[in-house]
Amino acid sequence: MNPLPPPAAEHLSSPVTRAALRVAHRAMAAARALLDGEGFTELPLPVIGPVTDPGARGAKQVDVDYYGHRYKLMTSGILYKQAALLGFDRLYSIAANVRAEPPETAATNRHLVEFHQIDVEIAQGDRDTACGIVERLLTHVVQHVVETAADELAELGREVSVLEKWVRGPMDAITHREAVDRLRALGYQQNSGTEIEWAGERLLSDAASRPFFIVDYPKGSRGFYDRESATAPGSLRNFDLIAPGGFGELVSGSERESDYGRIIARMRETGENPAKYGWYLDVLRGGVPVSAGFGMGLQRLVRALTGLGAVWQVTAFPKLPGVAAP
Amino acid sequence: MSDGVLARGFPAAAIRARARLGAQAAFPPDSSYGREVFGGAQVDSADVIESARLVPPVFMPQRLARLVELGAEPTFEDVELATEIGGFRSALPVYLSAFGSTELGSAGLGTAAGVQAARLGIPMVIGENVVPMNGRGGGHAALLERIQSYAAAVPPGTGGVVVQQSTEDADAEVWNLVYSDPTVEPLLATGRLGFELKVGQGAKPGLGGMTLLPAVVAERVRDRFGVRDVSAGGEPVLVRSSTPGTFIEEILRQQVRLMRNNFPRARTWVKLPPARDVAVAARTAWAAGADAVTVDGAEGGTGWAPTAFLNHVGLPLGECLLRIGGTADCLLASGGVWEGSRVVKCLALGARAVGLGRAALLAVAEDREHGLVRLAEALALETRMLISALGKYTTGAPDRADLWFPADVSRRRDALRPCAQPPTGGRSAE
Repeated sequence: MNPLPPPAAEHLSSPVTRAALRVAHRAMAAARALLDGEGFTELPLPVIGPVTDPGARGAKQVDVDYYGHRYKLMTSGILYKQAALLGFDRLYSIAANVRAEPPETAATNRHLVEFHQIDVEIAQGDRDTACGIVERLLTHVVQHVVETAADELAELGREVSVLEKWVRGPMDAITHREAVDRLRALGYQQNSGTEIEWAGERLLSDAASRPFFIVDYPKGSRGFYDRESATAPGSLRNFDLIAPGGFGELVSGSERESDYGRIIARMRETGENPAKYGWYLDVLRGGVPVSAGFGMGLQRLVRALTGLGAVWQVTAFPKLPGVAAP
Repeated sequence: MSDGVLARGFPAAAIRARARLGAQAAFPPDSSYGREVFGGAQVDSADVIESARLVPPVFMPQRLARLVELGAEPTFEDVELATEIGGFRSALPVYLSAFGSTELGSAGLGTAAGVQAARLGIPMVIGENVVPMNGRGGGHAALLERIQSYAAAVPPGTGGVVVQQSTEDADAEVWNLVYSDPTVEPLLATGRLGFELKVGQGAKPGLGGMTLLPAVVAERVRDRFGVRDVSAGGEPVLVRSSTPGTFIEEILRQQVRLMRNNFPRARTWVKLPPARDVAVAARTAWAAGADAVTVDGAEGGTGWAPTAFLNHVGLPLGECLLRIGGTADCLLASGGVWEGSRVVKCLALGARAVGLGRAALLAVAEDREHGLVRLAEALALETRMLISALGKYTTGAPDRADLWFPADVSRRRDALRPCAQPPTGGRSAE
């Protein structure tokens, strides 16, 4: 069993925690600078709402009583990002999200119940647009952190040459199918129709020396808002970015479904009752721009930057799945 | 035909007798021995299964194989009833069906039935309404209590819990709640948790769930379910109705795939209504990776439904099974099951196992401690005797050739679908 976070006072006063949180601060500053420079507007997103992204992999939503209505803590900002494109064609947020992940995910070292995403959405963008921004964003963050948080990285024992190598040159992309084939060649029996499993992702990450994209996840593995390919039905126009060295997924993104009728059918394909998405469907009915976007996990990013073993180590007040914590 | 399929009524008295007496109730009263000669009653029924007869052959090659294996003539005691149901090992070709949303099903009877199902080593299905209809806080506790009491009583390596969810109940996030609750870990860790996508229900296909509600509960769920007063004035009669959810092939396929994606440690079951395209739906679900498809015949029990549906809507279970035909995938059948002959006929029509619903409820109501165990004991004895009489010794072995239907029904079936000769080895239980 992996070590659990120590008591809050001990954790907060630890030099490791302090150094990691300073790296997080620099990473957020760098992300904002890059995105602002590319014409994005930072738009705070709601923390609670009547409905949220249904999520995947068994995570449960958390309810709150909102004046007698049962509201949800947001698992992601996707619904609001798409709606907000009516006002801004390029937007981002550093958004707080809550997912009551299955307890076994505490063992992955990269799951928290409460976490933040650098959440980005681009009107009229396609997957290439989004992936390009991901690459530039990660590159800029790494460069800025190496420059401004060199002391903290040294204190944490992180070799900066490793990080510099990550962002030297374009990042490769493989399809989900190719990822499955690689895993099977490694002796891991990955299901070809689902998400890359936690242990499989770890294998791919360990085997890599630089971040790489996985694209074209199959339908049935992701949410209704990931757009299905018009030319390859059953394949989604989405992507993940996997960090090397065992750090795993940093980014999930996709072109978005935006056609009202199409979204309704996709909601049914993911077992959803469209009625509960009333406000969102009303917005879609009037038309929203086609878009692509992604979420980059802030704490995962900082863990990868610092080289620390668990994502809770880079979090001031960590909540591990299945563990009650302040 | 003066009686509809369901107008026969369910033989509550006979079921309660079995709950009291167990295997003894599989025979006529012992006071009749030597003084009465028995013959079969004339069956006049539109129920395809009820009207069918199991017909032993003279020549029994499988029995010969069993004789060689045993070195002695096989008896009915040599019939192996253990089987795999939807990914779970089960001591009998039987599972406990969901009771659904009625007050009777939601009360302590559900927990008592679950504990007895666990002792029997058979899987249990929990209806999704345990959560939303009992309110959020209480529902969570009630559902997990059902699971925990089952888990505490079930022998290692056998049984399993399957939790239902349907379209509107997805809002209650039943599956996510169960999957992420630490107390369920012992079942997850041993591969004995499943989730059942409830596409429809036997007694009212095409219509969603319906429940009579006390006024206070009606107000609490009004924002999530339609609530209508169907009274003729005076005291309100509040009916909660939900929609069955819209399905086409691609929607069913992707929902099954997403279940397998989201809950990789749980089994995936799909419950289909007795709809006219049930065969296509079953094959779609299996192809998408469902571990079991449950077909609920129109004879199936329901807490509450419009009278027009009870007698006039949906296929009888036998017709569902005939349309689906033989399959290597796991097909489960429920609808009017309470004794062994119906069990064996369903097995012969391609089912891997059958669900006990109303019968289980009646048995537990008769005796909370032992009623279901005794009912299963009687059913198991009958099942063994019947399968052995067919010259077969596993639950997967009975097949279409073992069944005879009344001439007119048989001719219609054969005209619709010529009956292929079954393979001589029978169908494997695996």
